[in-house]
Amino acid sequence: MKRQQTGKRTLRLLLIEDDRETSAFVTEALEGRGYEVERSFDGADGLAMAEADNYDALVVDRMLPSMDGLTLVQLLRAHGRHVPVLLLTTMSGLNDRVEGLEGGADDYLAKPFATAELLARVTAIVRRTNGDAMRLTVGDLELDLFNRIAQRNGKHVDLQPQEFRLLAYLVRNAGRVVTRAMLLEHVWDLQFDPRTNIVETHISRLRGKVDRGFSSELIHTIRGAGYMLRAD
Amino acid sequence: MRIRYFHTEGFRLSAIYALVFALSAFSIGAVVLLINRHALRDQIIQSSSTDLEAMQRAYDQEGIREVREVIGQLKGAPGASELFLLQKDGQRIAGNLPAVSPQLGVVELRPSAQRARVLGVGRNLAPGLYVFSGSELTHVRRVQEQIQQTLLWAFLAALLLSAVGGVLVSRSFLSRTDAMARACRAIMDGNLKARLPVRGTRDELDRLAATVNEMLDRIAVLMENLGQVTNDIAHDLRTPVTHLRQRLEYGRRDSADPIKSEAAFDAAIEKTDEILAMFAALLRIVQIEGGGRRAAFTPLGITALLEQLRDMFVPVAEAANHSIFLETGEDATVNGDRALLVQLFSNLIENAILHTPDGTAIWLRLVHPAPGKVAVIVADDGPGVPREEQSKIFRRLYRREASRTTPGYGLGLSVVAAIADLHGAKVEIEPASRGLSVRVTFETAAS
Repeated sequence: MKRQQTGKRTLRLLLIEDDRETSAFVTEALEGRGYEVERSFDGADGLAMAEADNYDALVVDRMLPSMDGLTLVQLLRAHGRHVPVLLLTTMSGLNDRVEGLEGGADDYLAKPFATAELLARVTAIVRRTNGDAMRLTVGDLELDLFNRIAQRNGKHVDLQPQEFRLLAYLVRNAGRVVTRAMLLEHVWDLQFDPRTNIVETHISRLRGKVDRGFSSELIHTIRGAGYMLRAD
Repeated sequence: MRIRYFHTEGFRLSAIYALVFALSAFSIGAVVLLINRHALRDQIIQSSSTDLEAMQRAYDQEGIREVREVIGQLKGAPGASELFLLQKDGQRIAGNLPAVSPQLGVVELRPSAQRARVLGVGRNLAPGLYVFSGSELTHVRRVQEQIQQTLLWAFLAALLLSAVGGVLVSRSFLSRTDAMARACRAIMDGNLKARLPVRGTRDELDRLAATVNEMLDRIAVLMENLGQVTNDIAHDLRTPVTHLRQRLEYGRRDSADPIKSEAAFDAAIEKTDEILAMFAALLRIVQIEGGGRRAAFTPLGITALLEQLRDMFVPVAEAANHSIFLETGEDATVNGDRALLVQLFSNLIENAILHTPDGTAIWLRLVHPAPGKVAVIVADDGPGVPREEQSKIFRRLYRREASRTTPGYGLGLSVVAAIADLHGAKVEIEPASRGLSVRVTFETAAS
């Protein structure tokens, strides 16, 4: 089994989820990806564990006994803890996303979710790096976020605003899987599931501009999960 | 049961009225008695003075004999009730009263312990010659007693009437509130069609009953919707759940063949997602209809919104061999929830892409139909929707036979309707020579 490590250390996660079945399922998925998972089944207990130890990320259910997940995150932030948090919410709560992100969570995921979606989101928050940099580089692709200019191999790539946002999100998460839902939320700010293939068609256009005519492909399709921008 | 009358508003009001009436009747009665007593006494004094004047004249002209004569006449007059006394040096010489110590002016006498008091006037006709004329006060007392009695009876009758009135009013009040309570209980027992009785008098109770009835009508509509949705869900879920089950059975049957079983399980997962998405859409409609999002409305420019939508859907449309055109004129601002309005127009645009053949063109138009209004029209030149089906397509879970094979769960337009409703916007299908044209009309934000 491949270990998720920074340096020599295995990445440790805390899962706070009261439903035993979901907890077991999520734990198995995360351990399968090489994370070390500790579990709590209660809000107050989970908060105590999170404050007593240095986890690499928390996965927190919104509805918990003794203290709900949102309050837990708010308290954690109020106590100056910056550990990344993925909030799990119930189905399609219209305000869950806004509340969750305003409450200090780094991302949120509505139940029920696909395993691939969970893994992609956890990976994204655990390794959130260079999030604020204005200039990003992957292989021979360069992105100037301030002036909204993209160049590949020194050649200007002409992009529409939405295409630029899409590429920027992929570049920021280079080397990690981003799912269709993540793109819909973060690039188009859609809070519903469209019935048309918005993501697929935009990716296809972007490939036409970023990859076509170059020796190597940067945008890869990860079957059953999503996309990944990676310089081989 | 009887005691309940005392607790009704009608009875309370009647009791207050009765009390106020009793107090005013008492004071009026007292005043009447006082005035009457004065009037009667004045009358006695007046007639006594007149008598004395006559006696004085008789004495001055003819002397004491003539005075005795006058007294005799007055005493003997038919129906006379006056009493007289003529005394000289303390000795009675005429009249029907015993001798007294002479008092002048208005005098009240008590001739003996057995007799009634006498009111009258005394005067000296000459030194030592005293005359008195008066009347017994029994008459005054009798009249006063009669008045008192009349007042008492009237008072008792009024009290009785107000009590009876109070009971009648409260009984009518009670019978109406009882009828309302019965109607409410019937509704609680499951007769949802029952309504509170309305008399048509437009009084407070009627207005209250009418308002409650309106509320019940509204609840009934909501319940009906809910029932309809529950039915629809139960019905529409059967198909995907049956498919899901089939896929799982295939997966088990083909467990020896990994490729086949994997495909079956993938299909099962896809079906599950479809079911979950259907639930999510339904829950979202309920949430939108709840109206809580209205608090977060902000002013939004329509043109920018439509441009964003066009940019989002152009690649999708082109991949499906459709084209999208944006026609905007003067921009307009509406108050709304950006995410929900994006969803509203996305649903309309997706319908235009998904339910029309290759080569169809789609227009997004911004028009200003009237001052203070702005409309967004999503139109296509596809096959359109037959007139008889147009009213149905906004119904929850309604799917046209023709669209059964395309993705979706028949909730797209219900979501559109719910979001438009939340924004106070009107959704209409426009008469069009070709294709389907949906018009959403908003009130513009005051800017």
